[in-house]
Amino acid sequence: MKNITASGPLRRWRTIDLLTCAFLGAAFGIAYWAWGLIYKAPSEVISAGFPPLGALFSWPWLVAGIVGMLVIRRPGAALFTEVLASVVSMLVGTQWGATTLVSGIVQGLGVELGFALFGYLSFRWVPLFVAGFLGGAFEAVYEWYSYWSDWGFGYRIAYLFLLGGSVAIFGSLLAVGLTRALASAGALNPFPPGQEVRERQAV
Amino acid sequence: MTNQPQPEVSPPPERLLTGARVQVDDLHWRPYGRTHPVLDQLSLTIEPGERVLLAGPSGSGKSTLLRGIAGLLLTADSGELSGEVTVDGEPPQRSPGSVGLVLQDPGAGVVASTIGRDVAFGLENTSLPREQMGHAVRAALDEVGLTMTTDSSPQTLSGGESQRLALAGALVMQPRVLLLDEPTAMLDAVNARSVREVVADVCERRGLTLVVVEHRLTGWVDHVDRLVVLDRTGAIVADGPPAAILAERGDDLAAQGIWVPGRPEPEPLVVELTPVSGGASGVLDPGDAVVRARAVTVEHAGSRLGSTVRATVAVRDSDLDVRAGEVVALVGPSGAGKSSFMAAVGGLVAPSSGSVEFAGRLTPAEPAARIAPAEPATHREIDNVAGMHHARLSITRCVARLGVGRGAGRQTPADEPKVAPPADWRSHEIARVVAWVPQRAATSLIGHTVRDDILLTPRALGQGDTASGRRADELLGALGLAHLAGVDPRQLSGGEQRRLALASAMVHSPALLLADEPTVGQDRLTWSAVSGLIDAARREGAGVVVTTHDEGVVEHADRTVALTRPERSEQQPEPERRSLAARAGPLALLAAALCVLPLPALLDTWRQGLVVLSVEVLLGLVGLIAVGTGRRPRGRMRSLARRLAPAGLAVVGVAWSSWLLGGRDLEIASGAALRVMCLVVPSAFVVGFIDPEPLGDHLAQRLRLPARPVVAATAALQRLQSFDTLWKELMTTRRVRGIRADRGLLARGREAVVVTGGLLVGALGQAAVLSLAMDARGFAEARRRSWAGPAPWRLPDTLVLLAGLLIVVSGVVARLLVG
Repeated sequence: MKNITASGPLRRWRTIDLLTCAFLGAAFGIAYWAWGLIYKAPSEVISAGFPPLGALFSWPWLVAGIVGMLVIRRPGAALFTEVLASVVSMLVGTQWGATTLVSGIVQGLGVELGFALFGYLSFRWVPLFVAGFLGGAFEAVYEWYSYWSDWGFGYRIAYLFLLGGSVAIFGSLLAVGLTRALASAGALNPFPPGQEVRERQAV
Repeated sequence: MTNQPQPEVSPPPERLLTGARVQVDDLHWRPYGRTHPVLDQLSLTIEPGERVLLAGPSGSGKSTLLRGIAGLLLTADSGELSGEVTVDGEPPQRSPGSVGLVLQDPGAGVVASTIGRDVAFGLENTSLPREQMGHAVRAALDEVGLTMTTDSSPQTLSGGESQRLALAGALVMQPRVLLLDEPTAMLDAVNARSVREVVADVCERRGLTLVVVEHRLTGWVDHVDRLVVLDRTGAIVADGPPAAILAERGDDLAAQGIWVPGRPEPEPLVVELTPVSGGASGVLDPGDAVVRARAVTVEHAGSRLGSTVRATVAVRDSDLDVRAGEVVALVGPSGAGKSSFMAAVGGLVAPSSGSVEFAGRLTPAEPAARIAPAEPATHREIDNVAGMHHARLSITRCVARLGVGRGAGRQTPADEPKVAPPADWRSHEIARVVAWVPQRAATSLIGHTVRDDILLTPRALGQGDTASGRRADELLGALGLAHLAGVDPRQLSGGEQRRLALASAMVHSPALLLADEPTVGQDRLTWSAVSGLIDAARREGAGVVVTTHDEGVVEHADRTVALTRPERSEQQPEPERRSLAARAGPLALLAAALCVLPLPALLDTWRQGLVVLSVEVLLGLVGLIAVGTGRRPRGRMRSLARRLAPAGLAVVGVAWSSWLLGGRDLEIASGAALRVMCLVVPSAFVVGFIDPEPLGDHLAQRLRLPARPVVAATAALQRLQSFDTLWKELMTTRRVRGIRADRGLLARGREAVVVTGGLLVGALGQAAVLSLAMDARGFAEARRRSWAGPAPWRLPDTLVLLAGLLIVVSGVVARLLVG
């Protein structure tokens, strides 16, 4: 399958690119807020014996940035979408208050770096895994500092790999699934994933 | 508003004829995914100052041509585009705002939280200095007859006012061509006339070139000098003076579905439908009441970003009886609460107060098992009139809001079946009796093909597949959708989706059919089909409620009920005193809340944590003190508690893991807990005071973040409320179509995923329309722009920032002095 990049110069964002990122971010912000209300209980249960396992319930926080990048495919899309999602959940009211914004920036930068390593030219599984892992790893390092300062080295490393790995696998899968569903619903016609759907149907 | 004085802003005399010449040469446009072009080698010349009415059947490419003239075809879609469009010899978007475009849906292009700011959007994009904006904005608002203050919220406007606001937003940029896309399609007759008059007046005074798309020609033909008609293939089939064309080709055009003035109104199509066994519509005798609504009040609690604003009353103390075999037309100006009232009557929403009772033979057999056991009867309040359980259900506001103790507050004799209010019925119970065609039909389409969508509810209700299938095909045939049966419903045009939604609503023969503006956007032919189906539902014995502005629909209804806009107490007796934190700007508040970031590195013990936390709480409480004159602000502590509650969760989690790790040492655990509290507590005090719009102003002007992303982010934040509305609408649709997951964690989880998908699709649709509206006002090239809102830094900002720094200092001091 041909790997389709955004139309025009990559760094030249159209209005619809900006607004789509912003609206995706806002919608994810609401979803993040809702996830923040329900994830805590299962996360506590699973991490009761081995605290780094909490990572298995933290990967959804990074899906917004990955989806933003998969849809828009321009430099900055992951950071913009993720930061906006974090701002929205912060304004609605999360448990982390204004520090949600810091998490959003850190996560967005991690994901962004993953795609930048491939020059924003490929959006297949390998860059996705790398970007997801980096996003999770960046967030893990921020959390070492802000929340898990009592943890020893082993826990920290385990947390980093668990979070990076679960974002890379589950986050990528969910993001790809969502993007495909949106594209086949015709909601991404002006974007590269919409064009991919058309190419697949072309004879 | 012709006598409105127009001093500085009115164009100087020599510029009075500012209309531009529009030249369209061989315009060809095929959106990707369509086999046939929408516009095929179309050529058209419009002289300066000429006023053109563009007509054609639905799907003929009128709106597309308008976007083509505005140079915005590639803004929100992608496809093959060739040919050339020029405005006075230049590409249309060369000088921003020279071609003004107003879209069909009033409010779809609103970008700001006040009407003044919204009108100023185009001026910001052209980098006009802020000092010059106020005057131009006021003049534009006056020109379209909006006399309210510039700080009014766009959400308080009626449909007609919203449309005039959009017009003002275009006019303020001194356009030379004005393009209007069905500007009155969603308005009632009075509002439509006022919009037409304002447009005619402005074009007259400014000498603008005007192109109006409208398929109802009546009303516009007197205001234009040329009529251009497109056929279904997008080709021009008639072009000339309106009177001549209508005289020569009137019959032909009417036969194509165009609403030609002076023709007799179309008659409803006679539709014969296969009866369904087990349908609810034949249960009652004609004339029996299907549903009785008494003293129904519906309130909308306006919530903005988590902080609840005062509830507005949509409907107050309204009564309605709907009888089997009658059509009730619900009329009234936009904002009168027609849709809200209809939803309450049908049990789609619980009224804040009042009662809604369905005929006993329609109520579910044993809903009583689910409702709270009723208290012993003290006196009989139920009498049986004409087979109707006349139960007084006084659903008090608090019960409805808490969602608990349903059924409390009413007495039920032991020998009568207990009747749950319809808002509490299960999905398949409500689906059997009630059907709903929402105004935004796109949200109600669920199936993967048109035929699947129609058969969704019959299948959910277990109705026989053969009879339902035959009925579905009859409905599709009557609506002219038979050839689309295998198509994904999301590929249909707006008018087609609306017709499909009606077919999907009535296929299972419900007893009550609710249709919200079912004829909007239909041409003469499809209008006949839609009103024919409503007629068929009535003949089958259903009670039908339609909200409508359409006089033809009113004429065919058995009864008309007029609603008026409920009085809204606009006046605020006395402004609230503002707390210190509320006087600070968003940037200072955010910075103060982020001052906590060094704390994890500073705090080691629980004692240090306790010191810093005390400082934070003290500073926070000082920030909440309201000084000055005015009413005492209310709800400060409640909002604080609500924002602190989730933080409690975070604290427990960290404390737990630290306790496990730190050898179950209480000191280590409490140290970790206090450290996390120090991180999150300041936010609980300040985040509620951060407003998206000023935040955008500060980020762009003080931090110099790139302008266009900041504007896009602010616009998205303004519309969070609409996501909430859309979510509720998607859930209501699922409920009334019989597929809502009423129980089961897994089923509900799956449903949440599906509805989230629908929400995303809706959000992206909004983004596409908004980008069109914004680019039409010069946003595409506004990399540098001015800002209508100031981003001042005042004393409270400095104080708030100092308070934030004080937290860091207290952390350092605690580390040095406290063990």
